[in-house]
Amino acid sequence: MTQAAASFSLPRDSLQAHEPSQRLTRFQRRGYQRYLLVRQNIDLNFFWTRRWFFIALLVGFLLMIAPTPSGLTEEGQIVLAMSVVATILFVTEAVPLPTVPLLIIIGQVVLLKVDPTKVAQSLMTDSVLFIMGSLMLAVAIVKQRLDKRIAWAIVQMTGTNVYWISFGITAVCGAIAAFIGEHTVAAMMLPVGVTLITLTSQDPKKVRNLAAVILFSIAYGCSIAGVATPSGGARNAIIISYWKDLFYDPLDPETRRYLMDYLTWSIYAFPMFLIRLPIVAALLVYTFKPETTDMSRAVSRLRTQVIMDGPLKPSGWLTILIFCLTIFGWIFLSEQLGLGVIALLGVSAFLVLGLVRWEDINAGVNWGVVLLYAAAISLGVEMTDTGAADWVAKSFLDVLQNVGAGSGLGFNTAISLLTIGVSNTMTAGAAVAVLGPIVLNTAHVAGQDPIIVGFITAISSAFGYLTPAAQPAFTIIYASGYLKGRDFFTIGSRMMIVSVIILLALASLYWPFIAR
Amino acid sequence: MLFTRTKLSDRQERAVQKTLHNLRQQRRNRFRILACIDGTEESFITVTFAARLAVNDECDIIVLYVRPIDQALWSGGLQLRIARQNMMESGFELPGVRDLKRSLEILKEEGIDVESWPQEASHQDAWGDPAGDTKVEYRSPKGRSVVLKLKTAPDAAHGILDQYELGPYNLMVLGEPSRWRSEFKAWFGTGVVQEVVTHASCSVLVARPSLDKEGFFICTDGSSRSMQAVRRAAVLAHMQGASITLFSVAPDEASRPAAEEAVANAKALLKAMKITVTDTRTAVGDTVDEIIETGSSYRIIVVTDEGRSRLQRIFKGSKASDVVRGARTSVLDVR
Repeated sequence: MTQAAASFSLPRDSLQAHEPSQRLTRFQRRGYQRYLLVRQNIDLNFFWTRRWFFIALLVGFLLMIAPTPSGLTEEGQIVLAMSVVATILFVTEAVPLPTVPLLIIIGQVVLLKVDPTKVAQSLMTDSVLFIMGSLMLAVAIVKQRLDKRIAWAIVQMTGTNVYWISFGITAVCGAIAAFIGEHTVAAMMLPVGVTLITLTSQDPKKVRNLAAVILFSIAYGCSIAGVATPSGGARNAIIISYWKDLFYDPLDPETRRYLMDYLTWSIYAFPMFLIRLPIVAALLVYTFKPETTDMSRAVSRLRTQVIMDGPLKPSGWLTILIFCLTIFGWIFLSEQLGLGVIALLGVSAFLVLGLVRWEDINAGVNWGVVLLYAAAISLGVEMTDTGAADWVAKSFLDVLQNVGAGSGLGFNTAISLLTIGVSNTMTAGAAVAVLGPIVLNTAHVAGQDPIIVGFITAISSAFGYLTPAAQPAFTIIYASGYLKGRDFFTIGSRMMIVSVIILLALASLYWPFIAR
Repeated sequence: MLFTRTKLSDRQERAVQKTLHNLRQQRRNRFRILACIDGTEESFITVTFAARLAVNDECDIIVLYVRPIDQALWSGGLQLRIARQNMMESGFELPGVRDLKRSLEILKEEGIDVESWPQEASHQDAWGDPAGDTKVEYRSPKGRSVVLKLKTAPDAAHGILDQYELGPYNLMVLGEPSRWRSEFKAWFGTGVVQEVVTHASCSVLVARPSLDKEGFFICTDGSSRSMQAVRRAAVLAHMQGASITLFSVAPDEASRPAAEEAVANAKALLKAMKITVTDTRTAVGDTVDEIIETGSSYRIIVVTDEGRSRLQRIFKGSKASDVVRGARTSVLDVR
């Protein structure tokens, strides 16, 4: 430091420490910091992402405090409010779906003052066991990796022409999906479909239409067969459960017809699959004109792969045997043992013989879905017990009668369209669980046959054909990346019209004559 | 009374205020430099700059690390705050403590060794965070102090500005800005450095790796405000023994005499203060571009802040800010 520098004082002569800015700036800044703090601690985005949850709760609260309409009990009003909340949550998926059944169970105990043990008992019925067992069976079967052999078997029957292969895939997928869950079959057969496509050409653009034909054959095969037997989908088991819970009276032999067994259901619903089978194949080929009709190259490669895998192992044969035995049991023993127990027997056999590990079943079964159907059925029964379903049914029937759809074909059409509308907004199982008690009671009040109306509801719920998200099988094939969203609408709209016509024809011309 | 801020009697209150006033007066007699670090390798240059500028025992250095408040809600169901409390009870160091210790080593390399100085630690609650604000003060026998401050705030920029109010400080030293938005966009959030430079009440030095260069490059436009700034910056340069270059830019050739006059006036002013000017330069062209271009070979460019509010900046801009933003060397924005 120089001598001259000593005469300077930095604090005095150099940069100045000015007084802090005025009060207002400080006040603003502290306010902004507090806001940041609140924003950090309260994740406002949480309220936004879960907005429908809060909206649903608010709607439920308003419905509960609203004046009770005449003819409806207070408990009925609460159950209806719960159903509306559950429906909003099903449609918006504001919370993970398995949350909804938990909330239903809590609501039954807290709001309806039902005994907790009674609620717990109402959750587990034979139908729920049946759904659970079917899901487990499906995992066990898919684990065996029989997909290529099934494809090879199809090709051996149909030859190498695309039209016939498409028909074969639809038929075989349908034949399997009639007995186990449709999404399982779609998941099992998707690799085969993609294999056939890629073996034809590696460039997806060159085989876009061919891909659409093959993949839709899988999806529609699964979809049209899902209604054929009770084990084809959870919705069928739910309707069976409702028939029993709502109309069966042990003291009245007349009501034994409401105990639906496996074989009777199949007699009613299998034609729905058989009639639509050729129509699907024709529609697919008519809608998407495949680039090539000869798939011999792909088939020869498939054959090479199958031969490389060697002959079918004993575990494969055993799987087929147990599966056939289970179906046999469902058809002939369900009266004595119940559908659920037979499904569990099949699963136990798979586990005992070491064909599947429990870890695989545990990872492959969506337990949330089991819980969902259990709670939904329980709530449906509660709706009937409190008279809420009856009240809604009467109100709904008044509306139907005003538009001239109070009976017969008009009534059936209205029920079918209502179910299609609801099941295009949420999963088919949930749609049937919500609608079941209402439509069955409406049928009862209107003097229609609840059995026929139940079938219409269960089958119509499978007509969600318009979007890739409408059905699990569609979501699975859409995930392959070969298809566009509008493809689903193109073929789906045609398929929906055809399906409704066939369903109403069966309801008018076939079912009344086989009714017990 | 609902809005009384104190429960003390008038006499006690007066005593408190008097103590505070004395403390502030004491601080006014010190040249206080606030060096802000954020733990990145580049940010430690602020400590080196602070050490170089703090030439004598009149200067205090405060090293500040602002730690964002622990978020409480979204941490996988476990409140981070509880976890932090447990960690502190187990004797783990908070983030920032290690960096503050490292800054002591840097000061030691620069010749300010605080190890033998008596130290005093204090702690204050802040924003309800368990860590709060922690301060360690080292005071030399000659009255010089070095403070390490670990501050908790909802965000870094406002933490630094809050710290100023506890100060005040003569100079804030900040690291290089990583993000700098237009004056309009800056309303909706911007980087820490821009936020502090915009709002600070005192002069700000934005430190870039320019320690290998020499000299103060002091810019003036001839206004009385800028002459004040020249005078104050020159004293700082002079005390450091650094060379001083005076610079002025004319927008066109016709205005060059005015620019030359501004430089000559500044030189005369400094000469009267017995401060030697090494060089004077003028240029013609865009003010900001010329300053950045010509000043890049000097250690520090000195610009005068126009003192405009945020609203005024949107319409008029701020040449000082533009230089701070675009320069390739350190910039001292004098207020």
